[in-house]
Amino acid sequence: MMTRILRRLTTLLAAALVAAPVVAADTFVFTAIPDQDEARLMERFSKVATYLSDQLGIEVKYVPVKSYAAAVTAFRNDQVQLAWFGGLSGVRARLLVDGSEAIAQGVEDPNFQTYFIAHSSTGLKESKDFPKEIAGMTFTFGSKGSTSGRLMPEYHIREQFGKKPDEVFSKVGFSGNHSKTVALVQSGAYQVGATNFKVWKRELAEGKIDPSKLSIIWKTPGYPDYQWTIRGDVDARFGAGFKDKVQAALLDMKDPDLLASFPRKGFIAATNSDFQPILDTARELKLVD
Amino acid sequence: MLLQLVNQDFGYDRGLVLRDISISIHAGDRIALVGESGAGKSTLLTAIQARLLEQAALVPQNPGLVGTLSVFHNIYMGRLNRHSTWYNLLNLAWPQRREIDAIRPLVERIGLGEKLFERAGELSGGQQQRVGVCRAIHQGGDLVLGDEPVSAVDSHQARTVLDVLHEHFETVVLAMHDVDLALSYATRIVGLQNGGIALDSPSAGLTAADLDFLYKRGDEDHR
Amino acid sequence: MKTIADAAGVGRPRYSAAVRVSTLFVAIAVFCLAFADIAITTLDPWSEMQRMLLGVVTPDFFAVEAIGTAVVQTISFALVGVALAAFFGIILAQFFHIGPVRWACAIARSIHELFWALIFLQMFGLSPLTGVLAIAIPYAGICAKVYAETLDETPAAALNALPAGVSTISAFFFVRLPDAWAHIKNYTLYRFECGLRSSAVLGFVGLPTLGYYLQTAFSEGNYSEAAAQLIMFYVIIASLRLWMKPKLVGLYLLVAPFLLGGASQIRWDNVVRFVTEDIVPAPLRNADLLDPQAWSAFGDWLMMMLGDQALPGIVATVVLTQIALVATAFLTLAFFPLISTKFFGRFGRGVGHLFLVVMRSTPEFILVYIFLQLWGPSMLPAIVALALHNGAIIGHLLGRYSDEIRLRPDSASGFNLYAFEVVPRMYGQFLAYLFYRWEIIMRETAILGVLGIATLGFYIDSALADIRLDRVMLLLLVTALLNLGIDSLSRRIRAGLRLSTRIDSCRD
Repeated sequence: MMTRILRRLTTLLAAALVAAPVVAADTFVFTAIPDQDEARLMERFSKVATYLSDQLGIEVKYVPVKSYAAAVTAFRNDQVQLAWFGGLSGVRARLLVDGSEAIAQGVEDPNFQTYFIAHSSTGLKESKDFPKEIAGMTFTFGSKGSTSGRLMPEYHIREQFGKKPDEVFSKVGFSGNHSKTVALVQSGAYQVGATNFKVWKRELAEGKIDPSKLSIIWKTPGYPDYQWTIRGDVDARFGAGFKDKVQAALLDMKDPDLLASFPRKGFIAATNSDFQPILDTARELKLVD
Repeated sequence: MLLQLVNQDFGYDRGLVLRDISISIHAGDRIALVGESGAGKSTLLTAIQARLLEQAALVPQNPGLVGTLSVFHNIYMGRLNRHSTWYNLLNLAWPQRREIDAIRPLVERIGLGEKLFERAGELSGGQQQRVGVCRAIHQGGDLVLGDEPVSAVDSHQARTVLDVLHEHFETVVLAMHDVDLALSYATRIVGLQNGGIALDSPSAGLTAADLDFLYKRGDEDHR
Repeated sequence: MKTIADAAGVGRPRYSAAVRVSTLFVAIAVFCLAFADIAITTLDPWSEMQRMLLGVVTPDFFAVEAIGTAVVQTISFALVGVALAAFFGIILAQFFHIGPVRWACAIARSIHELFWALIFLQMFGLSPLTGVLAIAIPYAGICAKVYAETLDETPAAALNALPAGVSTISAFFFVRLPDAWAHIKNYTLYRFECGLRSSAVLGFVGLPTLGYYLQTAFSEGNYSEAAAQLIMFYVIIASLRLWMKPKLVGLYLLVAPFLLGGASQIRWDNVVRFVTEDIVPAPLRNADLLDPQAWSAFGDWLMMMLGDQALPGIVATVVLTQIALVATAFLTLAFFPLISTKFFGRFGRGVGHLFLVVMRSTPEFILVYIFLQLWGPSMLPAIVALALHNGAIIGHLLGRYSDEIRLRPDSASGFNLYAFEVVPRMYGQFLAYLFYRWEIIMRETAILGVLGIATLGFYIDSALADIRLDRVMLLLLVTALLNLGIDSLSRRIRAGLRLSTRIDSCRD
């Protein structure tokens, strides 16, 4: 046992020594907002990196980040040139980087939804109208920088109650990501939460959700959400027409295995103006200056 | 008889200090251990202590007071084993009237009445030594073992301290460096020299001069 | 119950200043408790705890391919960071008598290394420089102070014995440094141990150290994997003195910079933009500085920030700090006998040592994170974790200290010994250690906001999520000032109680 560990350590040490200064200047790097379980992100985007590398004919690398803000910052600082953003993080990134563009979104993304979910002990059931009974309960958002987990649910809460969330609920939390929101409400740590409908459906299908403990109580109207955003200066750096090549590669992604990991049915073209409603909402909530 | 030692050797790790010691202690004895510094008085006391720990109240040369606690608490500690832990803790936080009433007269007698709730660490060496004596008296019992209990106390106070000790204990064994005081309080003198007992006799009829031979080597002691 | 307050004559029971101060702090903590949210919000914390314990007994050392790399990088970041800190620390120590140097060092160390990392992430991204500077800067501030104090204690006689006209530099290398060397060496080794903890925690913001994988493992419930990583970490720290040999330090330092890993080159335009634009308050950014309108907007901005964010953040930080400090005090008193020869035999002390080593080796940030998973978000996980970690550190020091106390041959035993002999004798030392940790607990409390507890860190994290770096900087400034305030209050209390002024190994 011990020798096995030792041998492994030695190999790793050697590997680390050799591989230390990575990422050559001409590598195309992308990232994604960490909106659900990290192991899944790694699996999903490593495949995408391979796919893009094949399609673009240059080295493509995925860099994982720990937060939505880190994804935006990496994009802003040109440490990544492409990113899979949520609605809000994409809007922020494009405000910060002149010339950057939304180039592709999931088929489902123009009409995205947030589900309000509640623990069974609350006795709440799904309703057409906004469930005003949640006032006074404990509530968790997803990440602070999430569109479906923060921006849109907060927008509807303010709209309905005319107050800030921390004035409506007895306690407000930020779980960090959508999977975590589901887990926290299911465990009863929070009575009510707001989560991304795609993640909900996926976790339901995978049997991670126990319908006897957890149910949807309200679905928001649709809004635009996730998109691929690329920096404006990529053509200058990787050659003329590079942006279009990336867009084509994304729209061309047909492998169900690749798509299932997002999960999206496919990708369609997007433009910056598709996300104007998100920008307006973010301005209204003063989340963007 | 409280204790009998026959032909015993005593010492620390570094080597023997006392050799071939025979001594017996009876109830009612008032013994003064005398001899030069380093003659083995403390070693003999320690040996006696080790055998009579359960019955004896101790007055160590260094009184071992807890400087951060008051005089009251340091004296109260003599009876820690007689009360429940909860009662002890209660007294630690809020000294109880009953305990104060028991301790105050003793402290007043020995001239420290106004210091009862001073921190022991703030007292002078002599005052601390007197607190150590009070602690032994408060502990009670029939026997007290004292190692130079008045070494840091002025001569007037020393007599008071010795009076009090002798009033409270039936049996008294004290290492003393002041031969006159030893003669006036003890009924029996045990003289130590060169790691052995050189003298063990009733004090009646002995004079200070009779004990001079114990100090003949390097007379640095202030008798 | 009768006290003798009504007794006749002189001499009423009085409480020493140390006891009065302690009582005051306990009272403040109880008062704070009334405002603190300490609920357990998970419905079934025990089943989760069982799963964690199961993970601890079935550690999986082969779950993560990268664990070896993570260990190597954790050590490398600590090595490079602490080496730089020691180097600049010794230089700054020479100028420590100069006010601005002293203040700069105080500010550097009043900001938690995780906050430094968050700042440098904005400038350098996930480059190794971010992690190295995040450790080196606050540590240089601490080292400078400790080295300066150590060097100041060079006996005057040795300096006076030098012939006239010896240069300051010669005097430094021939007298002051050799005299202080052993102490500086020990302290730096201790800092390196702290550096390992800091380095591990930096993984939580994305650097490739242990914390990165630890957070993933915990958040996904892979407790066997998390346990394996933590055990590796304990082994590294426990074996520190075996592999951290003076002869090998040079070699380590030569190799470490190449093991830092990480991607992306540094772009200086990002740094320039951060300094000249990002951190300028929004109302003044791109505004005409002669325009009163801009300044009035800045005033509104400042009032909003201070009133809506800084103030509630300060209140929560102080509330949590005071409760955690007193909880630490109680746990310290419970912990130190575990390793004291006065109370336990060889076997009992062995178990005690193991427990205290684990508790003080685990970074408090990670402990809080674990308890948050167990009990849900409230102040409770933070209080328990901070008290366990700090209680173990001070308990360890006090336990060793208690062994040196010499007792009368007929002293009491058991609880009476504890209450009447040992604790009263160590009480001053105990308070001194606690007041030293006070500032450290507060610094840690502030950073815990990142995990969702509403202290100052929560507002800093929110501003970061919004990429509003001007707000981040203002809140960091507030955090630093709060820390400096506590530091000076602590110093005053220690001076007032005449507690010993130099304790190095409990400083973090």
